[in-house]
Amino acid sequence: MWVKLVLLLLFCLMIAGAVYFAEPSKSEESNSTSRTQSSLRLLTWNIGYAELEDDTRAHDKDLPAVADVILREDPDAVALQELTGEAQLKSLLGLLRGKYRGAVAQQGSGDRFEAVLVKDARATFTPVAARNRYALAASFRSRRDSPEVVLLSAHADAFNAARRRAYTEELIDWAQQRSQSAPVFIAGDFNFELKAANESNLYTDNLKHDSESYSHILHSFRDLGRAAGDTAINDRRIDYIFGPTDLNRIGRVEVLRNAAVGRMDHWPLLVEVGF
Amino acid sequence: MFTLLKLELEKLFRARSFYLSFVVLIGFVVLMLWGFYTYAARKTGGEAVEQFKYTYESKQYFNGLTFALYSLLFSFTLLLPIFVSMSAGSQIAGEARTGTLRMICTRPISGASLVLSKFLVTALHAGLLLTFFIGLNLVVGLIFVGWGNLELYPGPLNLVDVPGKIMRDDALMRFGYAILSGTWALLVIAALALLCSVVFDSPVQATVMTIAAYLTLYIVGRVEFFEHLRPYFFTTDMDFWRDVFKPEIPWQSLWHYASVCGAYTAGLLLATVVIFERKDIVT
Repeated sequence: MWVKLVLLLLFCLMIAGAVYFAEPSKSEESNSTSRTQSSLRLLTWNIGYAELEDDTRAHDKDLPAVADVILREDPDAVALQELTGEAQLKSLLGLLRGKYRGAVAQQGSGDRFEAVLVKDARATFTPVAARNRYALAASFRSRRDSPEVVLLSAHADAFNAARRRAYTEELIDWAQQRSQSAPVFIAGDFNFELKAANESNLYTDNLKHDSESYSHILHSFRDLGRAAGDTAINDRRIDYIFGPTDLNRIGRVEVLRNAAVGRMDHWPLLVEVGF
Repeated sequence: MFTLLKLELEKLFRARSFYLSFVVLIGFVVLMLWGFYTYAARKTGGEAVEQFKYTYESKQYFNGLTFALYSLLFSFTLLLPIFVSMSAGSQIAGEARTGTLRMICTRPISGASLVLSKFLVTALHAGLLLTFFIGLNLVVGLIFVGWGNLELYPGPLNLVDVPGKIMRDDALMRFGYAILSGTWALLVIAALALLCSVVFDSPVQATVMTIAAYLTLYIVGRVEFFEHLRPYFFTTDMDFWRDVFKPEIPWQSLWHYASVCGAYTAGLLLATVVIFERKDIVT
């Protein structure tokens, strides 16, 4: 009888322990929209479609919704991925009522383009070659008296981790060099498959390549959107905004999960920083 | 109770399967050493350097502690639960199969004490297996690979989400913690196998049913279809043991999951005792 009683007591104790040590649910991140003098608001969004569609690039019919989100959130600069080209960018800029200037990257080996939109009328755009792809950098000021910053819009290969790694290496080489003269932010869809929580995958080369890529970026940059969670369907966090490690403040960090329209498989990531 | 424990310990140390489990673990370590050695040589050699400009996989990264960690994490999921299931699954059903259970039950001991003593012996076996395995990996790592700090990166092993490092002495301590947390997690399997051992009359059936239940939940838990069910599987809770290898141990989460595993173990044991006491022993 005493054995049963001891086991019952132990069972109850363990349940009580589990309840006592249960982590409280995380409070919502501050969504304050107040802005300070030195703040910079950045948004990245892969506006392409999921793999099941015939054309997985951005669709023209979604551009008004994309423009609405940008106008509503009012970022200083936007990094977009998977545009079909210059014509689509022009349509989008039109829908943004002249508030933004923008450019698309040169065409690389693929059929889709990265783009950057900025409010600053004096912004300059620079194509950045990385392997057989092109990223696009914009140098701009969020205010007249603010220091110049650089935003790089990037899109790494979706299907090959080794190619992602090689692409990331070249991009970071460029960004490190550029960061000697201005703070550099790198935003885009890197397709890194790094899900650390509650999983125990066995070792794969793909996982290792993504690990090497991500770790290499973190040597010189900070992952600003980490707290915001998944950015794409199927619980994937594959869109990132990386920034300087010495930022004064990280304000609002949010994945806008109601923003996607049509068959988009990504949500925009918004980050506000002070520097 | 102590006499019972002594007798059960004697049985354990006389069983061939007890020694077989250690031999298999030695074989696994040898295999891991070969794989790790060739992989490390390839990744720090010319070919890898030509392909990519930057890598964290240096000679410093591939050290004995990294080897021990990889070996332990790979084996814990699939190898150790098999031996624990075998050991626990044969405790009652094995006696029934050899015809000694009825004789044991004629002695003036309670069924509960018998079940408890058999569970304690299985727990000891699990603890010894893990201690031996970790110790062997560390010794082999020291001799054949060399020691350094334990460097952790996001992705492989899924331990961290930013690069981190555990200094050598601290890392050794963490392996000590892993003996405790790992054994505690394995006790859930031991309790389940003991329950199966009471329910089924054949030790093979008890072991297979335990492994089948474990593997089913383990695999289903990793398929996205069942993502919403994952938190309710004991296999998910068992994963807490790995947290001791995180640069900052999340103590609150660790105690939470350790308590959940403890509840599973105690609950299963209680069920085992109740079923065993009501069971008509005919063999």
